[in-house]
Amino acid sequence: MTDLWRRCLERLEAEFSVEDLHTWLAPLQATEDAEGLRVLAPNAYTLDVVRERFQPRIAAVLQHLNGAPVTLRFDVGTLNRPTANPRKPAHNGASARVGRGGNESDSFESNLDPNYTFDLFVEGKSNQLGKAAAMQVANNPGRAYNPLLLYGGTGLGKTHLMHAAGNLMRTLNPATKVMYLRSEQFVTEMIQALRTKSMDDFKRRFRAVDALLIDDIQFFAGKDTTQEEFFHTFNALVESKQQLIMTCDRYPKEVDNLEPRLKSRLGWGLSVAIEPPDFETRAAIVLAKAQAKGVELPIEVAQLMAKRMRSNVRDLEGALNTLVARANFLGSTINTEFALETLRDLLTVHAQAITISNIQKTVADYYQLRLSDFLSMNRSRSLARPRQLAMALAKELTEHSLPEIGRGFGGRDHTTVMHACRTIRDLRATDGKLRQDWEKLLRVLTE
Amino acid sequence: MKPDQLPLAMRWPAQQRFDTFFAGDNGATLDLVQRAATDAAAPWVFVSGAAASGKTHLLIAACAAATAAGRRAQYLSLRNLSGGAPDSIRALGGSDLLALDDLDAITGRREAEHALFDLYNRGKAETHTFLFAASRAPAQLGIGLPDLVSRLSACAQAPLKPLDDAARSEVLRERAAARGIELDDAALAWLFARTQRDLGSLTALLDRLDRESLAAKRRVTIPFLRQVLGS
Repeated sequence: MTDLWRRCLERLEAEFSVEDLHTWLAPLQATEDAEGLRVLAPNAYTLDVVRERFQPRIAAVLQHLNGAPVTLRFDVGTLNRPTANPRKPAHNGASARVGRGGNESDSFESNLDPNYTFDLFVEGKSNQLGKAAAMQVANNPGRAYNPLLLYGGTGLGKTHLMHAAGNLMRTLNPATKVMYLRSEQFVTEMIQALRTKSMDDFKRRFRAVDALLIDDIQFFAGKDTTQEEFFHTFNALVESKQQLIMTCDRYPKEVDNLEPRLKSRLGWGLSVAIEPPDFETRAAIVLAKAQAKGVELPIEVAQLMAKRMRSNVRDLEGALNTLVARANFLGSTINTEFALETLRDLLTVHAQAITISNIQKTVADYYQLRLSDFLSMNRSRSLARPRQLAMALAKELTEHSLPEIGRGFGGRDHTTVMHACRTIRDLRATDGKLRQDWEKLLRVLTE
Repeated sequence: MKPDQLPLAMRWPAQQRFDTFFAGDNGATLDLVQRAATDAAAPWVFVSGAAASGKTHLLIAACAAATAAGRRAQYLSLRNLSGGAPDSIRALGGSDLLALDDLDAITGRREAEHALFDLYNRGKAETHTFLFAASRAPAQLGIGLPDLVSRLSACAQAPLKPLDDAARSEVLRERAAARGIELDDAALAWLFARTQRDLGSLTALLDRLDRESLAAKRRVTIPFLRQVLGS
């Protein structure tokens, strides 16, 4: 810190509120050189606010202290930043990682997360197809299935599989150039390229890789220019047998505001659904995550967590983090009693009001039906299907027996419930709309 | 910039430090936030609690501890984002520790939620540490974007339970003692019955009483309190 900057801050501290000082001015760093004073902000937003609100005062105070105007330069950045990262290589987005111009192959550094491998992926019925497809693609990039599209709700492991495929490609052939990016980065970088008139560079960078992995393409929806550009990138890659792997939160045909020709292209290769993990897989995932943290977790605790938290893997991860932290703090052993006690708040949220009548109400609302019709003996299709869905949800989410569920649905027989569960299970495999309804309702009921 | 070189007022506010945080039943929450402040490998933390339960205190204390440990920290209340919130959120990042307060301010605003989702992903990739605070747990906040809910739920969940009156009295008595003010039970009971009972306002009131009793050269008694508070 320069003496001039320190004196400037001392002067400013009398003029602004404590909140302004520690939100905006405290994170700034300054260096002095022949040209004047260079002020660095940790991010662009802070820089904007400082420029807008504080720059005139900073300049005036500096001039007063210095006896002459001081040239001020503002930038986003950090002084004396150690470059080594303690945990894993930084992923600063595609642009920071891939060399510009024609020398990419010389110094290609992948931005894959090394922690996401197939070894660490817990396989179950819900995701085994996705895992198998991702492995095939990794073993035979550009040839097996191109593009590979993994779709399903949030927190189910799509990103993990995608990175695992990329990592395996590079293990099998270290020269493979794999680029991972989130759809948002694609959008941001494209806007940047348009602004700086460097679209040719932008195109070249994405087309120079052996495999391009794009996460969460549903966020392309409604962004027409991005879709257009992505469409061309897509064609170029697939035509020259470069691998494309994408994830989406639903079957792409069901994403609104996505161009029809892009939707149809997305279906060219293989699309695999990643379903929410079943009970056994959830328990196995908790155990694997605990092991990775070096925590001994009794199997009963893993089962307790898996039983109560159904919606996605991140909830389980949060619960495990919370449990481990509390056990460390209290010096306790993690057993069922301790887990129940600690997770009571979290579990209450998840177990909150999952009753047969709550499920009925939620499903009836979802399909805009009257609850009384819903529970009546009317068997018209528009009522029967939602009713079956509600029964299957009751079987999935509550501890009630089939006869109890039948009684809860206006005194129906347990074989009717059984039939409903079977019908819904089959339809989830063949009917995209119904699968989406099922997942949405599951999410609404369990979050 | 070493923290001790910062001008006094520029340092993180001295009253919002870990050692001035009265944990009560919230020891585990305090512990989680302390770890996140200084250990880059510790899990990210989502602090939830009602107004005046101490969320901001913890977040600022974490920033102060991080700065003291040589990490770059920034505290920001989403309530105070100027201009377009989504653009502001997109431009955040860069600090080792980013403490984002008042997440309630953006729930239900699709673009802003999306921007926070993206910030979360960037932070994960760039190995920053995040601390979040809001009135409720992620799943109960009314966030529309499921991708954001699930990510926030993956943080270690740190609920803050409000202190009960007994604990509040204890803290207030301690803080009064630190200022050389003696508060007896009657005066405390009088205060609790007539003023806002969250610790923030009580502590501010204590500072005022400190100044006024010094100026008036009087002890803090009920008649004095009545005079100062005009009732």
